[in-house]
Amino acid sequence: MTKPGRRVVITGVGAVSSIGTSVDEFLTGLRAGRSEVHPISAFETTGFEYANGCEVTGFEPERWIERLDPAELGRAARFAVAAARMAAGHAGLTPQDLAAGRVLVAIGTTDGETRDLDRLVAQDAAEPGAMDPRIARRASPSRLAASVAREFALADAEAVTIPTACAAGNYAIGHGLDAIRAGDADLAFCGGADAICRKTFAGFYRLGTIAPDRCRPFDLGRQGILTGEGSGMLVLESLESALARGARIHAEVLGYGLNCDAYHQVAPLEESVADCMRLAVADAGVKPDEVDLISAHGTGTKANDSTEAKAIHAVFGDRPPRTVSMKSMLGHTMGAASALAAIGCTLALEHAFIPPTVNHTTTDPECGLDCVPNESVAADLRIVQNNGLAFGGNNAVVVFGRYDEGAA
Amino acid sequence: MTGMGPVITAWSAISPFGFGADAFRAGLRAGVPAPASATGPVPDAPARPVPDFAPRAVLGKKGTRSMDRVTALSVAAIGALMDRGDAPGASADGPAPGLVLGTTGSVQSTMDFTRSSLDGARPFHVDPARFPNTVMNCAAGQCAIWHGLKGPNATIAGGRAAGLLALNYARRLQAGGRAGTLFCGGAEEFSEARARLHHHSPGAPDGTVLGEGAAVLRLEPAGSVAAERDGLAEVVALEFGMYEEAEEIPATLLRCLRRALERAGARPMDVALVAPGAGTGAGGDSPERAALCELFGGRQPAEVDCTGLVGDTAAASAAFQVLAVLVRAEQDPALADRPALVTAVDHDGTLGCALLRPYPAR
Repeated sequence: MTKPGRRVVITGVGAVSSIGTSVDEFLTGLRAGRSEVHPISAFETTGFEYANGCEVTGFEPERWIERLDPAELGRAARFAVAAARMAAGHAGLTPQDLAAGRVLVAIGTTDGETRDLDRLVAQDAAEPGAMDPRIARRASPSRLAASVAREFALADAEAVTIPTACAAGNYAIGHGLDAIRAGDADLAFCGGADAICRKTFAGFYRLGTIAPDRCRPFDLGRQGILTGEGSGMLVLESLESALARGARIHAEVLGYGLNCDAYHQVAPLEESVADCMRLAVADAGVKPDEVDLISAHGTGTKANDSTEAKAIHAVFGDRPPRTVSMKSMLGHTMGAASALAAIGCTLALEHAFIPPTVNHTTTDPECGLDCVPNESVAADLRIVQNNGLAFGGNNAVVVFGRYDEGAA
Repeated sequence: MTGMGPVITAWSAISPFGFGADAFRAGLRAGVPAPASATGPVPDAPARPVPDFAPRAVLGKKGTRSMDRVTALSVAAIGALMDRGDAPGASADGPAPGLVLGTTGSVQSTMDFTRSSLDGARPFHVDPARFPNTVMNCAAGQCAIWHGLKGPNATIAGGRAAGLLALNYARRLQAGGRAGTLFCGGAEEFSEARARLHHHSPGAPDGTVLGEGAAVLRLEPAGSVAAERDGLAEVVALEFGMYEEAEEIPATLLRCLRRALERAGARPMDVALVAPGAGTGAGGDSPERAALCELFGGRQPAEVDCTGLVGDTAAASAAFQVLAVLVRAEQDPALADRPALVTAVDHDGTLGCALLRPYPAR
């Protein structure tokens, strides 16, 4: 299948995360291997034997959000709108730029505003029939993308929320890539957002997949995930558009792959995860041996990491590229996870370093990967792959490339 | 002869008119609203449920014990298309069949799960088998498992516009060569939790009766053998917009409609049929209708009402409107090869339209 000629580049990123709520803080955090794990404050955790997580702290939505009233937005939407504002600023987009082109907004999520739904349930439990109308009004997950479009007054934009769980950020980036490649859009805000909530913590806890203290992907002693939250947003743009307005290009989106295990609701399937990586690499027009780095889904559960590692070996052979998990630093930020990792990939390509897999002691021989333990390293990267795997067997893998000015 | 857009080659429905395409077709032709329950969980708010839909009776006992209603509706609606003689087989080289489903899952499942954490002796005394139901892509993932759909699998939110956003997502997958056969549609369940949230949603209560169901299309890429052989209609154009205040709806929707017509190379006077999201009842003077009046002036094309008959089926509603166009086109040869418009306005800000071109009956 020949691809249309439009190349798609990243001209801005915005990150709201537990290790920083600005691009500079996020970059510094990734380089330093920073991780902020604390007892969860989002909900009452009495009765859980342990309840640590990677929450966003010190977040001031009004510092970023200009047009909308944060009180009318759920926590996930506040993260998304703030990250989008940050990305627009990082991309140097003027209101004129935004008004001139056709814009797509694509936001992935796992839980939407379930944090608010939890509150409504608690309210009803305390006083049957009670429901705070303001919270009820803002609880729809569709409002994630809608709020980003409204913040920028994009009356003619297509704004779509993609609730494909923990691969949703990559789905959103892929949708933006296709829209711009095909000429449907000139510019896209793509990313993901989620807020820590009781429902998801209780579910993962019951499945025995919450780590008590630290998230240790690919480690022999890994015990599971830590729930996290935040938003990652990328400004995708056609190369012509970026060049025409003299924007700084941080990386190129080369391609992506999408498939479904059609196997199990929560357990990943090695063969199909491998197929998805093959699809992505082929779509990017590169060969597996050209991939310099893999940003793994790497949740830190026994099952995910060994299945994903086997799939990587199946595609990349005995000497796979270095494979890191940013979830070791950020926790599992659900629908934001592959979007924040995509920003990590972008910054790694631009600043020539590999973010580490922290909390690492002994690599599990069953994984058998160089996960760049504990400290970031300098690296001349050209092609980087970002994996996203989700409940429902929803796999999405995106491939990014360094953008060299003047290169064909 | 097909154009550039995806081609609809088959459809199925589980609606307040009952199980299956024939029930939907008959209900729409009769034009009498599906029966409403006398009262729902919210005072003075009746509903139009899918009658006699018991997931375990329809799908069997295996694998359905913890399945929620929206998942069962989705699995059964796609099952109705898989059982047909012309169901797509496994492709030797191209992408496997996939699914793009407009839904936000079951808010009842999510809230029940939270409640079980709050009510249990310990906060982790929740049912692990029901945890997947609390994630919005549960229905699409289960459809893939049940029907072996290993191609792209996506879940699209967007309320009343979800079906159109899903169609556009599917269109891009096929145009980019990422997908061959795609099942595409919308699914929504009626539940107490949804009714109570809807009661407080922006613009509500607006007099609409809540409905539920699943509406699914089978889409084939433009120019494919299946599209040429089995095509019922082409999806020619999809356009979207975003409003903040209700008074912006007419102008924003009008721009969508004009862009869609331009993309199709058509004029307003060419349009033979409109399927608006707002029913003819309570929505008689809706902002959606104002946009259509402005577009057509005094020459209003024929109209098919869906919401008034099956209720507000939220994430399934735009997909049902597409089915309504197909049903009308079956009946009326004069609609063939002429543009038909589907419009949708969601409470949460998204609006959009689809321009379809039904094929002549063969």
